[in-house]
Amino acid sequence: MRAQDPDREGAVDRDGVEIHYEVYGAGTPTLLLIPPSPITHSRIWKALIPFLARHYRVVTLDGRGNGKSGRPVKPAEYSSDAHVADLLAVLNATETPSAVVVALCTASWWAVALAAAHPDRVEALIAIEPGVPHLGTRQPHWEETAPHWDEIIENPTGWQLNNRHLITTEQRRWIEFFFGEQLVEPHSTKQFEDAVNWALETTGEVQVAGREGFDIGLPDAETAERLYRELGIETLTIHGDRDICQNVDRGAAFAAVTGGELLVLEGAGHLTVAREPVVVNRAIHKFVEKIKGIPMQSHVWTRSMNRRKRALYLSSPIGLGHARRDLAIAQELRKIQPDLQVDWLAQHPVTAVLTEAGESVHPASQWLASESGHFASEARGHELHCFQALRRMDEILVANFMIFQEVVEEGVYDLVIGDEAWDVDYYWHENPELKRAANVWMTDFVGYLPMPEGGEHEAYLTADYNAEMIEHIARFPRIRDRSIFVGSPDDIYPDVFGPELPKIRDWTEDHFDFAGYITGFTPPTESQAEEWRADLGYRPDEKVCLVTVGGSGVGRDLLEKVIAAYPMAKKLVPELRMIAVAGPRIDPQSLPTHPGLEVHGYVDSLYRHLSVCDVAIVQGGLSTTMELTAARRPFLYFPLRNHFEQNFHVRHRLDRYGAGRHMDYRSTDPDGVAVAMAEELGRRVAYHEVETDGAQRAARMIAELV
Amino acid sequence: MRAVDPGRAGYAERDGVRLGFEIFGEGDPTILLLPAWTIVHSRFWKMQVPYLARRNRVITYDGPGNGRSDRVTDPDRYSADSYAADAAAVLDACGVDRAVVVGLSLGAQHATRLATHDPSRVLGLVLIGAALPLLADEVEDDSNEAVFGPAPDDPHGWDKYNIAYWQDHYEDFVEFFFDEAISEPHSTKPQEDAVGWALEAGPAVLGASVRRLPFNLTGEEIFAGVKCPTLVIHGTRDRIHSHRVGVEAARLAGSTLVSLDGSGHLPNVRDPVRVNLLLRDFVDRLGS
Repeated sequence: MRAQDPDREGAVDRDGVEIHYEVYGAGTPTLLLIPPSPITHSRIWKALIPFLARHYRVVTLDGRGNGKSGRPVKPAEYSSDAHVADLLAVLNATETPSAVVVALCTASWWAVALAAAHPDRVEALIAIEPGVPHLGTRQPHWEETAPHWDEIIENPTGWQLNNRHLITTEQRRWIEFFFGEQLVEPHSTKQFEDAVNWALETTGEVQVAGREGFDIGLPDAETAERLYRELGIETLTIHGDRDICQNVDRGAAFAAVTGGELLVLEGAGHLTVAREPVVVNRAIHKFVEKIKGIPMQSHVWTRSMNRRKRALYLSSPIGLGHARRDLAIAQELRKIQPDLQVDWLAQHPVTAVLTEAGESVHPASQWLASESGHFASEARGHELHCFQALRRMDEILVANFMIFQEVVEEGVYDLVIGDEAWDVDYYWHENPELKRAANVWMTDFVGYLPMPEGGEHEAYLTADYNAEMIEHIARFPRIRDRSIFVGSPDDIYPDVFGPELPKIRDWTEDHFDFAGYITGFTPPTESQAEEWRADLGYRPDEKVCLVTVGGSGVGRDLLEKVIAAYPMAKKLVPELRMIAVAGPRIDPQSLPTHPGLEVHGYVDSLYRHLSVCDVAIVQGGLSTTMELTAARRPFLYFPLRNHFEQNFHVRHRLDRYGAGRHMDYRSTDPDGVAVAMAEELGRRVAYHEVETDGAQRAARMIAELV
Repeated sequence: MRAVDPGRAGYAERDGVRLGFEIFGEGDPTILLLPAWTIVHSRFWKMQVPYLARRNRVITYDGPGNGRSDRVTDPDRYSADSYAADAAAVLDACGVDRAVVVGLSLGAQHATRLATHDPSRVLGLVLIGAALPLLADEVEDDSNEAVFGPAPDDPHGWDKYNIAYWQDHYEDFVEFFFDEAISEPHSTKPQEDAVGWALEAGPAVLGASVRRLPFNLTGEEIFAGVKCPTLVIHGTRDRIHSHRVGVEAARLAGSTLVSLDGSGHLPNVRDPVRVNLLLRDFVDRLGS
């Protein structure tokens, strides 16, 4: 799922070539983001758009040759004049009198040409790794391969692929080589995949035409230099010093000749917009605010000792379990620190729980892009590849981090508590100078684990993500002031982080404190359980099987299979009453029914049903299965396919508690479900006791920081 | 030891009165830190000068009656208009055409007069803990018996604001005054500093400064001639001039208001980092 959808999109016809554009936000000024097409398209800006559109109006386009725009194949159709005319047409179509232009690589040259030809349309220019001709030095590999552009090369390697025939016939090889070279930063697998996929949306033929068209009508050095010098607008150049597409001295020369600002990102390569989005976002924002010349805003600054203690609590919306445990921790925290103000930066469905509990939800929460919506969109049947879903959430994480950072900078918080707040943890390690408060990291699992279906490549990816995390923490131990594992050392999955990486348990014991499990509620005693059953309308002579799939839309397949199992189950257990809870995202009317089977969209106090049912059938999510474990109920659980957390981490933990019966969704038919259910029903369980002081222990660990 | 010594020190002379100024650093725009009530002198900007002078030319000077300036006892030299003329004379002596002008407490009167009389010389105005007669219920009245009459017996609190009392109990008064002005907890050092600066002036000078021409302009009159960008900074616990004065000043000036929650009358000495950052931000925005 995208972090943000455009408010408006459309296309202009430019002499038969459609140029597609998108418009986001409504602020001032308008920023026109130009991708260096046709090697990429507007999605290259995905880590910037949500942030920039909150402050400004953003227009972006798919340059000719890629994305949703037309794909002419003649070099002449990729001349600078053609690009400039496209930009002008998009400004007109979007009713943009003038814009601050943000251009990447070769697009910087078209931006210069636009500003020179139509000075009234360009307010300022932000050039990122600019490909501005005649400035600085060309990278040697471009120099060396240029003479062989049109030759037939036998057994080409490396930069020799930079050849019109090879780009056409071996496009993928060239593109993968090219972006592999450009992404010099370690742990750039996602950025690499994105860049390659976008490039492959067009053909090698188009890419060759784009390259050849770039040179058409280029001015000589002297003319170009005069053009730059006389631009007459403010410029900001951002350039990675390890860029091997455009040498950093080119960006420096551009800044110097235009009399503008230069921001060099040391250690960064050509794709800073994708690999260093936080610093690029902030640099653009600072520059635009400066040229807007807006006066200082009125505000209140409070003397340090007059400040109330404040914590900003981030509770992951992926799965509903975090909300209840975080609420329990906050309540314990207030017992220790009665004057502590807790604000929540949270999103649906967590906010629903918080609001009901009378908690203070920070108003900026409304801007957050939906992580739970993203996860729902990633589910396919009884499958959720949660590692890949997390990777594909990259633009949502950076969008939400930018909101968090603004809140934490304005809010003078003493403490940030992030319960699986992946965005804060990742981007504070990537941008450690932005840390503004003591920081508590909390999680119930450590380590990405590859699913067997993903093969070697997935094992490589999970190891890479784990390695980045380990390196982050080794290099910046000051970012996590306290790391709390929600559970015990025995809950840690007995594996390594990857080849030549530490054992997960050893590393976690070295880097975490252990709070024990936190259910967020106290299970009923036996006599309470009888009262609850009566309250919930359970008759003494019936056996209740509760079927629940949580709050996401992921559970339809499981619901259908269990419903199909009902007739057989009823035969096996005549006193059976089955209560299926579809959750807010599945219409109960859309599910098949049987006489005697109840299907509800929603039930009040689901946790009470979970606490007193005779048997439950659930997915493999940690919160629900652990609630059942704490309440000592028999249950069947079906981990989502390819969900590493449910299949490894949760299953391991449940095994340790001796809880639940693991079921494989694919290999279990409805009759198999019925038989297993009947076997489990009413079983006297011998689960390992679930701790009840977890929230208190976590709160004590946190309170030490304030 | 001072954190930074002036690059140049000298005197400006206006109508026979010598005013000691100091110039620190270089770089435009110049920042002119005005004198306040003559109970203190230019060293009360000591927490600002080193920081601001790293990037800008900073001018401070002692007003009449204190520091290196002449000990003037003519009340006319303590009117706001006279201070404004002094400021212009100092800028002339320093060879500076224009400056960002910062006025604290009474300095807000001097600054607004300067901006009105010599608008071309004032790029921007910062008013901190402004002593401006903007509130109907808090009009300054220096003409009454309590101030000019005989010394009270066994005075308490503001009873000590009496010229006659100062003759024999000057130090007692200034200690009281800075307890009020620097009201934040744990302020012993700023209070000691301020008392020391006050002792350099003495009761004769302070008495003359209170006998000056009253500053009895309305709010509209004060700000009618102020056309430059303005920043108002005011502590919410200012016991000398209440926070509401700052609110009103910002309203009349159409300016930014930064409220320092919990701060007293002299945030520049007690919350110097925040004040420094605000001044830097204001100056930078003017520059761009």
